[in-house]
Order: sequence, then structure tokens, then C-alpha cells
Amino acid sequence: MKTIDCRGQACPTPVIATKKALEESGSSIRVLVDDGAPRENVGRFVRNRGYQVIETAEADGWSLQVTGSVAAEETAQSNVPASASGDKVLLVTSDRLGDGPEELGYLLIKNFIFTLLETPQQPDRILFLNSGVLLATEGAETVEALKRLEERGVELLACGVCLDYFKKKDQLAVGQVTNMFSTAEHLLTASSVIKL
Amino acid sequence: MGQQVVREGQYLAVFNSTHRVLKAESLLKSSGLPIMLIPAPRAVQANCGLAIRFDEEHQDVIMELLTVQNLLPAFLCQFINNNFVTIREYQHENH
Repeated sequence: MKTIDCRGQACPTPVIATKKALEESGSSIRVLVDDGAPRENVGRFVRNRGYQVIETAEADGWSLQVTGSVAAEETAQSNVPASASGDKVLLVTSDRLGDGPEELGYLLIKNFIFTLLETPQQPDRILFLNSGVLLATEGAETVEALKRLEERGVELLACGVCLDYFKKKDQLAVGQVTNMFSTAEHLLTASSVIKL
Repeated sequence: MGQQVVREGQYLAVFNSTHRVLKAESLLKSSGLPIMLIPAPRAVQANCGLAIRFDEEHQDVIMELLTVQNLLPAFLCQFINNNFVTIREYQHENH
């Protein structure tokens, strides 16, 4: 059984490493993590995808034995790239939701992002374009909730051109800077794209 | 899946009126108080309520300001031991 050692790694690295290891090996892996948030976040991430987890306390952390998601095994055996059969992408092109009053639009997008922390389903990835990138920059009220989502394995990508336009390229507080090529690729290989 | 938006000991002033909570948010923020307007977590109430979240240390100042400006919430609760405990309910006309 493949083992990955994520001890000493800060969130979201353990979740990202686990995601990658599962994509590569398709079925059972063992993940070594520190106690606390890494253990909770990795456990939650794999359970949400239908895996079983057996957690064992070790001398210096936890060993999580991850087995059994039928859907994931079928994907690995069929040679179809994981992204083409599962990725749910949220496309955020504004820091307002809807075309009404600005005040309401801002309130709605903020509410939506916070509510994502309570829904059992999570998107795999959130792409931020145009003024949407502002939601991920320093000082934005949504940063707190976005950080939690990132810790749970949701990948956050903010358009570099947009950040640069708003002169905030060095103020991205959560997620990674991305480019149009990567954005286009993510949109085209997603199984579903939800544009807010 | 538990919510992670409200920490142990924090208070929520829960409103049922959007306009009211926006006014309250504006008032408190312009007074320099560290608050955040968030959707009321599921565990607090079923309908789409909004809440102003703040730390215990600011409770007195905040509730007094809301009282004086006639912007009291529907109720006030505190997150204790993973539960939202209602501290006080408020009755008023334009809810």
C-alpha cells in the first residue's frame, strides 16, 4: 500500500498530497499526518469522496488508512483522467452575485461562500476572474471562509491579469495565481461548471 | 459537517430583516467595532437569517449601540460547547 508522509506539513498541503496520491494509485493508500487540523481535514476530504478511513494513533501523529471508493477505482481503471469524470468547478467572475443593487450583490456572494462551509458538497475548484479576484485579496471579508475551503482541498485560482489590473498581484491572501490557459483548460476538462 | 465560522464564546446577533442588519452592520463598522456580517449558521435557525458575529469582549458596547439606534436583532445567542445558546430575545415593531 502506498504511504505518503505528510507529518509536519501545514494545511492545505496534506489534503492536496492525499488528493494526488489517490488520483495516481486509485484505491488504497496510507497517509501519515499530524494531529489536529491536518487529520480532520484529510479525513473529511476522503470521506466526502466515498472512501473509508481507519485512523490509528501513532507515537508522533496519526496513520490514516484510506480504502474503498468504488467510483474512484472505476475511474483509475478506465484510464480516463480524473478531471474529465469528476471535477466540479465554480466560476466567479465578480465580487457581486446578480445584477441588482451592489450592496445586495456583495452580501449574496459573501453569504454563498460562507454557506459553502456548511454544505456537504464542495466544488473541486473555484476560479476567480475580473472583480471576483478581489474576494481572495488581503482585507476581503471572504478570505477567512476561502482559507477554510482551501484547507478542505478546494483549489482556489485567481486570474493574474485581473490581480495585476487591480494592482493587487502581491496581495493574494488565499489560493494561487493562474493564467488564461490554465483557466480555459480547467473549464474545458470539468464535468460541470457553475458560473455565479 | 459542523460550521467553522463561529468560534467558541463568540456571539451572534441574529436578524430577520435584511435592511435592518445592513444598517446595523454599517453603524457598527463606522464605529470601528470588529464585527462580521455572516449568514446565520444552519444550527441557529431554518430560514435565511443574517447575523452579526462578534467577540464576547465587545458585547456590551455593541448591544448598547444597537439599542440606542433602535437596531436590535431578533435574538442574541452565544456559541458554547458546540451549541448556539439563546441569550436573549427582543420584541420590537419593525422586525
